[in-house]
Amino acid sequence: MLEAFLSSSIGMATPVLLAAIGELLVEESGIINIGIEGAMLSGAFFALAVAYFSGSTALGLGAGMAAGAAINALLAVLVINLAVNQVVAGTALDIFAVGITGVFYHKFFGITGKAFIVPLIPKLRLGPLADIPLIGPALFHHNFLVYVTIALVPATGFLLWRTRYGLSLRAAGERPEAADALGLDVYRLRWQALLASGVLAGLGGAYLTLAYAGTFVENISAGRGYVALAVVILGRWKPWGLAAASVLFGAAMALQFGLQALGTTIPYQLFLALPYALTLAVLAIVGGQAASPSALGEPYRRP
Amino acid sequence: MIVSSLARALGAVVLAAAIVALVLLALGASPIGAFVALAEGAFGNWYALTDTVVKATPLVFTGLAISVSFSGALWNIGADGQLVAGAIAAGAIGPWLGGWPRPAAIAILLAAGAAGGALWGGICGWLRARRDTNEVISTIMMNFVAAQLLSWSVHGPLIEASRAYPASTPIAESAHMYMFFSPSRLNLGIVLAIALAVGCYLFLFKTAAGFELRAMGRNRRAATFFGIPTARLTILILTVSGAMAGIGGAVQVSAITHRLYEKMSPGWGFEAIAVALVARLNPIGIIFSSLLFGALDNGSQAVQRGQGVSAELVQVIQALVIIILLAFDTPMFDRLRNSLSAAARPVSRTTTTELSDA
Amino acid sequence: MLAARNITKRFGTTLALDRADFDAHPGEIHALVGENGAGKTTLMNVIAGRIRPEGGEASLDGVALPVGSALGALKAGIAVVNQSPMLFERMSWEENLAFGGFETGRFDLATVAANARRLAARLGFALPYPGTTIDERSMAERVRLEILRALSFEPRVLILDEPTSVLAPSELGAFLHLLRRLRAEGRIIVLITHKLSEALSVADRVTVLREGRVVERTRPAETSEAELARAMIGELPEPQTRAHLAGGDEVALTIENLSLQRDGHRILDRVTLSLRAGEIAGLAGVDGNGQSELVEILARALKADSGEIRMIAAGGDAALAVIPENRDLVGLILDMTLWENLMLSRPLRERATRRAWLDREHAIELCAGLLRRFGIRAPGPEISAAALSGGNRQRLEVARAIASDPRVIVAHNICRGLDLAGTAEVHRTLSEFAAAGGSVLLISSDLDELLEMCGRLFVISAGRIRETAVSERNAETLGMLMAGSWT
Repeated sequence: MLEAFLSSSIGMATPVLLAAIGELLVEESGIINIGIEGAMLSGAFFALAVAYFSGSTALGLGAGMAAGAAINALLAVLVINLAVNQVVAGTALDIFAVGITGVFYHKFFGITGKAFIVPLIPKLRLGPLADIPLIGPALFHHNFLVYVTIALVPATGFLLWRTRYGLSLRAAGERPEAADALGLDVYRLRWQALLASGVLAGLGGAYLTLAYAGTFVENISAGRGYVALAVVILGRWKPWGLAAASVLFGAAMALQFGLQALGTTIPYQLFLALPYALTLAVLAIVGGQAASPSALGEPYRRP
Repeated sequence: MIVSSLARALGAVVLAAAIVALVLLALGASPIGAFVALAEGAFGNWYALTDTVVKATPLVFTGLAISVSFSGALWNIGADGQLVAGAIAAGAIGPWLGGWPRPAAIAILLAAGAAGGALWGGICGWLRARRDTNEVISTIMMNFVAAQLLSWSVHGPLIEASRAYPASTPIAESAHMYMFFSPSRLNLGIVLAIALAVGCYLFLFKTAAGFELRAMGRNRRAATFFGIPTARLTILILTVSGAMAGIGGAVQVSAITHRLYEKMSPGWGFEAIAVALVARLNPIGIIFSSLLFGALDNGSQAVQRGQGVSAELVQVIQALVIIILLAFDTPMFDRLRNSLSAAARPVSRTTTTELSDA
Repeated sequence: MLAARNITKRFGTTLALDRADFDAHPGEIHALVGENGAGKTTLMNVIAGRIRPEGGEASLDGVALPVGSALGALKAGIAVVNQSPMLFERMSWEENLAFGGFETGRFDLATVAANARRLAARLGFALPYPGTTIDERSMAERVRLEILRALSFEPRVLILDEPTSVLAPSELGAFLHLLRRLRAEGRIIVLITHKLSEALSVADRVTVLREGRVVERTRPAETSEAELARAMIGELPEPQTRAHLAGGDEVALTIENLSLQRDGHRILDRVTLSLRAGEIAGLAGVDGNGQSELVEILARALKADSGEIRMIAAGGDAALAVIPENRDLVGLILDMTLWENLMLSRPLRERATRRAWLDREHAIELCAGLLRRFGIRAPGPEISAAALSGGNRQRLEVARAIASDPRVIVAHNICRGLDLAGTAEVHRTLSEFAAAGGSVLLISSDLDELLEMCGRLFVISAGRIRETAVSERNAETLGMLMAGSWT
């Protein structure tokens, strides 16, 4: 039971963490990406649609990442090249994603009533590690995306704080005009961060359909992109902090199913609301944005 | 000024329609057929026309919520949750109002809605002012909390007597909104919405407090320096903003649904962003842009029935309108416009930074 | 040799540079002087590849410099030290220097730090502890770090844009010494400045720009401050109003034991000060010693941890007008109209408010009157403040303060960035105000300004305030006091 709960927590945390890592990259470059929910939802839908019609999970994953990147490319034009308000533009793309996935979903599946199901990405047992009691099944018996995501955590930390590229990216988010004066291409850095974030959010969405649900229902991302925004704040812009915060959310989601299975009378809506209420509570207690990049959310126009 | 605003809004809608036409072609549907169905569904007959007004009503309330908060550079993305919170409060108190005369019962119901929305917005205002928490994040989180609270309410404490359906006990008949031109669903709600819009306009542009709010929206640091109580104003405005969205929820309960269901809002709080941007945050303009989007919502259902294109097409249009309007307001497009209009115009104040200064 | 020929640059309708020529030779310090807006920075930005000119070309040792490419110019040997240091506040100094040319191979902060220390030692200064972030460093250290970063590219030409305006007088000597050392290495040093005495004391040659045109090329030995000033502004500056108003015995405002801490740092330490009616008191200090916070507290935008501010003069708090130092970010809201900017002042707003309603007509009328009275060049009250020039923005701020009928005006660095004529005008307005019985607290880092205007003079350093004796009122002693010799 506990094993199942832990395993499920990790599984639930993975798509959120994928999106959150991408959000960390964009935020370090100085952009707040509210459109992350839309990138995730588009990733979820197009991953499933392509996997369904092509019969290839790999193509599906690729399509999910491409869809996320496409949404973020649109956002990049708006918030980087046109320097419009990032919150409003991001929200617009969230609405756009709900609309466009809904329209396509109904076009392909909603009306015919065909079963819209693909086989799940298989789980991999990591050899003897998976046999360790408790943590074995919890950590080492998942699909490969979970392992990729875990590997991305230290990799992101390395990229941001141990490479020249990471330094440049943070410079763009700290003081874009100074970065520009030093010959860094702020627009290009931010574009790259947004595209990478789109790929990761799209992959997170693809995880939902290809590795978790096996199907698509409207608005399947159900706010996980927004949760990723909260995770970045809770994790204080540090990769392992993000991982911890994601697992916290994963656990809250897993708890909901666990307790329902146990037949408690506690209403399940409480658990569905828990991650959001928890975010609010933690924000109320730790408060502040002190750890956020200095130029976060401010439109930058090249001189 | 008004003419150019109107041209700008119409231009955005036309451009959005053109893009949607391409999407429709890609889907194999006829754009002309869809637009004709849309127009017929929105304005084709008396019932359609009145229902367009009915569908615009919640948008006026949420649009005003957005207008007032965005004017202060408070990015309230939570009008949806605030509307739902208002509806829950109204739905909870509604069944108990049987003994009250009708005007009082309606007033209490709306007050409950305002209180529910005010609580939802006020929490985020407090978090921003006292805990330095980004209101974008907190308002989004509160949307989800409201949605789950509603779901729990109609499955649990407020469930109707037979306990068979996820819906609440109906509100007392004395709390039903005044209806006009029965059997249409036209009701007093739109009149209240218009009155509130006029009030918001006067507040924003004619009062000292409205000036303080706009100054805060343009430059929070300067406003703070000159003794404008930005923290207090933040809490107040997000509370008022939430209250207005909450009234919208209560009006919906009082006039249309008469009880709570699992889903009370199809996303009016988000649609309101498009509504407010089309109106350039001007409360009077919001009345008209709400009618525009109400028509879209109303017509889209006809499109779904007749053309086999899902009603979510409306959300694509909403998003495109927002995106196009944002792009219209950037200096790049200013230059484009200036180079296009050779006619020299007198120097007027810049409006390009209306939404790009936060 | 660095040579620029016929450089022309327009910004909108203004001609920023008009066929400007400029030469500088190896082993010389070349001062480029001119008023604000004369085109000094624009000319150097063209040479450094940051701005693409409409016409003309620049070359180094006969090789044409790449046009419009900052990176290309850097590679060609031209490095710039910016007016305000272009550093990343929340990064460590090593990370900041990593943007320099200290290491070309693998990204490694240890190598950067080691190489930087070596270069710093050669130039005669020390670097901070490893890992400390920029926001903890003083202005002088920041300027040094930026120079170090520029030098790491081993440039042939080092352009310094007004580097001394952020330095304490006591730090100036060491800085000028550093410049001479760099000259001795055979580099071309271009020093952009509007301080003539500085140009004359350190430069080998001087080029004067006026309204985008080169109007004079000379050597310090062949000219004088007055001659340069005439070249800069086209005529001799009118004799300065030497106010020195000391006021009477009547006290207008007292500040008692004001203390403020932030993140464990003491920002203000038992600040005590009283202002007399009819005086202009000065508060001298290097930026960042608590002045900004003191001003915010006086404006009631910030709460002190302890202490008290009391308005004794008639009118109470409403009779205290504060003019902040950052005109464009704090003093004005650039995308609001002129009359709306007037309404930012609380007393003016209250006077225009009738039972919660803001009387627009009244505000516009008031604004139109002030535009006339203070000679603010603007088409009318309904244009946005962004349309005003820097000087007119400052006039608007001073006009707003005077219009609120204050008894006390606190003004923070309000003449920074103003030309001589604009400065004289602001000074005259403040002098008239004090002569009519008002009190002024002039907070500035410009000693010349303070010595010229003030009766009593205070010094602030590390959040503590001390009154100066008459015998201490010379640039040298004040410089030591500003650097904290007494704290």
